[in-house]
Amino acid sequence: MLDIALWISIALFAASLMLNVFRLAIGPDLPDRILAVDTMYVNSIALIVLFGIQLNSKAYFEAALLIAMLGFVSTVAVCKYLLRGDIIE
Amino acid sequence: MEALYATTTGLLAACGVYLTLRGRTFPVVVGLTLLSYSVNLFLFSMGGLAMHGNPAVVGAGTPAADPLPQALVLTAIVIGFAMTAFVVILAMRARGDLGSDHVNGNRLDVSREDGK
Amino acid sequence: MTLLLIVLLPLLGALVPLMARNLPRGRLAWLTAVAPAIALGIAVFHLGDVFAGQTPQFHLPWISELGLDLALRFDGLSALFVLLILGIGLLIILYSRYYLSGEDSLARLYSFLMLFMTAMIGIVMADNLLLMWVFWELTSLTSFLLIGYWYQLSEARKGARMALTVTGAGGLALLAGILVIGHIVGSYQFDDVLAAADQIRSSELYPVVLVLVLLGAFTKSAQFPFQFWLPHAMSAPTPVSAFLHSATMVKAGVFLLARMHPILSGTDLWFYIVSFTGLATLLYGAWFALMKQDLKGVLAFSTISHLGLITLLFGFNSQMAAVAGLLHIINHATFKASLFMAAGIVDHECGTRDIRKLNGLYRYMPHTTILAMVASASMAGVPLLNGFLSKEMFFAESLDAQLLGGLSWLIPALATLGGILSVAYSLRFIHDVFFNGEPKDLPKTPHEPPRYMKLPIEILVLICLLVGILPSLVIKDLLVSASASVLAGPVPEFSLAIWHGFNVPLMMSGIALAGGVGVYALRHHLYSFQRQFRARNALLVFEANIQRLVNLAERSMDSFENGSLQRYMLWLLLTALLFVGIGLLAVPQLSGEFEQQPFDAMLLTGAVITGLAGLGTAITHRKRIVSLLMLSVVGLMTSLAFARFAAPDLALTQLAVEVVTMILLMLALFFLPQRTPKESSARRIMRDVLLASAFGVVIASLNFAILTRPVESISDFFMANAVSGGGGHNVVNVILVDFRGFDTLGEITVLGIAGLAIFKLLNRLRLFMPSSDLDGRSWSPDRHPMILATVSQTLLPLALLVSVYIFLRGHNEPGGGFIAGLVTAVAIILLYIARGVDWTQRWLRFPYQPVAAAGVLIAGLTGAGSWMFGYPFLTSSFGHFTIPVIGEIELATALLFDLGVYLTVVGATLMILANLGKLTTPHRPTKEKS
Repeated sequence: MLDIALWISIALFAASLMLNVFRLAIGPDLPDRILAVDTMYVNSIALIVLFGIQLNSKAYFEAALLIAMLGFVSTVAVCKYLLRGDIIE
Repeated sequence: MEALYATTTGLLAACGVYLTLRGRTFPVVVGLTLLSYSVNLFLFSMGGLAMHGNPAVVGAGTPAADPLPQALVLTAIVIGFAMTAFVVILAMRARGDLGSDHVNGNRLDVSREDGK
Repeated sequence: MTLLLIVLLPLLGALVPLMARNLPRGRLAWLTAVAPAIALGIAVFHLGDVFAGQTPQFHLPWISELGLDLALRFDGLSALFVLLILGIGLLIILYSRYYLSGEDSLARLYSFLMLFMTAMIGIVMADNLLLMWVFWELTSLTSFLLIGYWYQLSEARKGARMALTVTGAGGLALLAGILVIGHIVGSYQFDDVLAAADQIRSSELYPVVLVLVLLGAFTKSAQFPFQFWLPHAMSAPTPVSAFLHSATMVKAGVFLLARMHPILSGTDLWFYIVSFTGLATLLYGAWFALMKQDLKGVLAFSTISHLGLITLLFGFNSQMAAVAGLLHIINHATFKASLFMAAGIVDHECGTRDIRKLNGLYRYMPHTTILAMVASASMAGVPLLNGFLSKEMFFAESLDAQLLGGLSWLIPALATLGGILSVAYSLRFIHDVFFNGEPKDLPKTPHEPPRYMKLPIEILVLICLLVGILPSLVIKDLLVSASASVLAGPVPEFSLAIWHGFNVPLMMSGIALAGGVGVYALRHHLYSFQRQFRARNALLVFEANIQRLVNLAERSMDSFENGSLQRYMLWLLLTALLFVGIGLLAVPQLSGEFEQQPFDAMLLTGAVITGLAGLGTAITHRKRIVSLLMLSVVGLMTSLAFARFAAPDLALTQLAVEVVTMILLMLALFFLPQRTPKESSARRIMRDVLLASAFGVVIASLNFAILTRPVESISDFFMANAVSGGGGHNVVNVILVDFRGFDTLGEITVLGIAGLAIFKLLNRLRLFMPSSDLDGRSWSPDRHPMILATVSQTLLPLALLVSVYIFLRGHNEPGGGFIAGLVTAVAIILLYIARGVDWTQRWLRFPYQPVAAAGVLIAGLTGAGSWMFGYPFLTSSFGHFTIPVIGEIELATALLFDLGVYLTVVGATLMILANLGKLTTPHRPTKEKS
């Protein structure tokens, strides 16, 4: 039962990743692209957690944690760049 | 799987090489970063692809992934960052001192799009 | 052991004059003479053994892996040369004391002389061909110092450089020859090589060996066509010339011929090359000796001529000729050294060496005149002098040479011609300088030199006479034992008598004497004949050739190094492609024996996204920020790949580095053009796409080929020993901080250095800042949005907690110093982004450079700490401790090392990013506000 649920969710997240890439590619503006990348971080977290469940392993949860944290920093930096150009001032 | 992995590595390497052949500093730096991703993936796969392997932690179960390429790549990633930083700041320095971000041998920035 | 002293004493003696340089010159000379005198005593002490047919040897293993041992031998040939080198060397020491003026440093000359002497003795006593070569090159180097002794003179510098270039290049050829010999024989020991002489001569590499070895000998002995350096070496002080061109330097070449005689001679090839070179040199030198107007020039060319004679004798492939060659080595050393010294006295007393000005010196220095006359007569081959003996033997041998068939008569004829010229220039040396009218406007009024300045000449002239009159008594033993080692077998019976009855050689001598007088009488016609030729200065020709070579090198460099990185990359990639491509072509089948593993939809999606993002990075590269976003997707996907293939440590590191790289590149991008203008032509783009595709295909094929083949990993060792040896369960981390800790130490040092270098590069950097964004909108006025600032501040303690957690568990679970350091750095950077440099620096006052340095230091000291307990560098020790409440924990010194890693990573990363960020603030690290 869990297996089937896992596979369905993995497929869905993979599809959404593809859609993110599509948005990243066509844009048209920088904010669209930034959003696409940020959503990719979120989807990757989900994928990693699902993978961890699938393998029945805790080893990957830290990776999810770090993606959450670092993805945020990354998005902040790009946004700051968009707003001010100079991200550390 | 191996073919897929190798193709991806090769594709990244090709993109990186294409960028390093550009005539401005920034694409070259981006290209080098891309190339280093590819190289890291390449080196990482030297121990084989552990599709169903466990992390190289004693007691985490067998089969375990090969820890040696991992250790090598780990330091390679960090050193790669230091070198990227060095190169990019060299590029900034070159622009500051020479007034140009060309690396194609042209000293004068003929088509500078943003004035001083 | 005493053999070693013969070599070492002059070497130690080189220090004596340097230490005693403040002493009066007389005492300096005596002190310097002590070491070579003792060495000479030891050599004489061994003479008895040598004459009895023994060969004292000394062997000390040195670099046996290369076949290079400190092996010395003292056979007849070595004995002969050692006596010459040390004996004449001692006389030169005495002579120099009077020759050198007060302004020149006598100590320096002595020191160089002793070094040179060491090298020469090393050559003649080496029992190992490689060792001999080492000393051979040392003579080239030390003779460079000696010839360039008056370094303030351009002539001396150029002459020294030319001598070094020619003899040094010959030395390289000799090395190649010796290596080939070693390849054939399998040993460089002289005895082994000698035993394998037939094997060498019958080897198909024999011509190669012969030519290479002869190149070495001929350049050193100034044989035609390499003779041009020798006349220019005359810009050395005369004692140096007397030493270099009589007993040593140039004799090293003929010594090599003698040493190699039993190994390489006996073939037709040897005869043709060696004897023709010798003959050409003999006549060339003799002719120019007659033409030169410079006193030392005459001697220089006569030296070339006599070396040619010796070479010719060795080239005859006859036993008696080799004996005659050895005899002439002794004779030439004695009379040429005395002639050089006499020329030095003339130069010293008259202030010039121009033969046209020097005339009739007999009246001013009768004693010197007589000495010079005797020596010259010996050079000319007048009976009752030693030169006569060897010349007679030379004529006799030239008659026996039959290899030219019907033209064999040419050799004695040309030999006689050489003899005639030799008599003529000897006569000229005496008659033109000491008689023949009055001196013309000399800078000084000549008179007899100091008593002891003549003593060395007197001794040498006495030897000339003694050998000439009583040859069997004086020289026979030495000559026989030297011949025994040159012939490597029984020495033919010969008699060293003055009178052999009326025979052809005597007639040839007579012709040479009479003809020489005749040529001398007709010399003015010859001069006017010679004047029709354009005089070529070998120095200028040489310098011009060197310059041409340099120009050629520069031109070919310029065609590669044109300042375009694209060009360099092109060459680099093409080379890489070529080599890897060849390797891949040699593989019969790309896929190995492994079955491919199946992949699922998730992996396929990952690969597609990675590929698309990579392509996107390349395609959008002219919109730099978009390209950067694409790059960050590649980074993210890479770390997901690491996670998928069971490498959590790598995934974490990659994630952190990816974010840090993004921030770095965005910081830099602000100061660089935001877009790349379209510059490449379609052809160039096509070329680059093709090249990049080829490269990608090669990488992919290589990767695939490796992945489908079995690996033999050494990782099992690490897996098995991680807990017992390193005290940790996370093998990746244990490898980093323990097994390969030394590498990691090096790596964090590099990281620290990169941080420092960036800090320096940012110093005084002037940059342009864009005032609007990509689409021309002006920047937002809100520098630090409130929401961002608040959220970031909340995140900081959380992030620090995570990093401490990752750090501490790193030894047993995925994590460790690298990752924890990066996470901390990112957290602090976030604060910089959200709050700005001013605010952050107010609250977080820690200097990054010291932190990075402290990190390297801690790691280094941890490693060094194991020394205190008697273990090798970076030995890890660990133990289990039970702490109340928390329970049992494991503490390893590796944790301390990891702390060093952590601090370095934090320090270096922040040093890079914060300093870059500071560029636009008042705290920018420039010293000028502009």
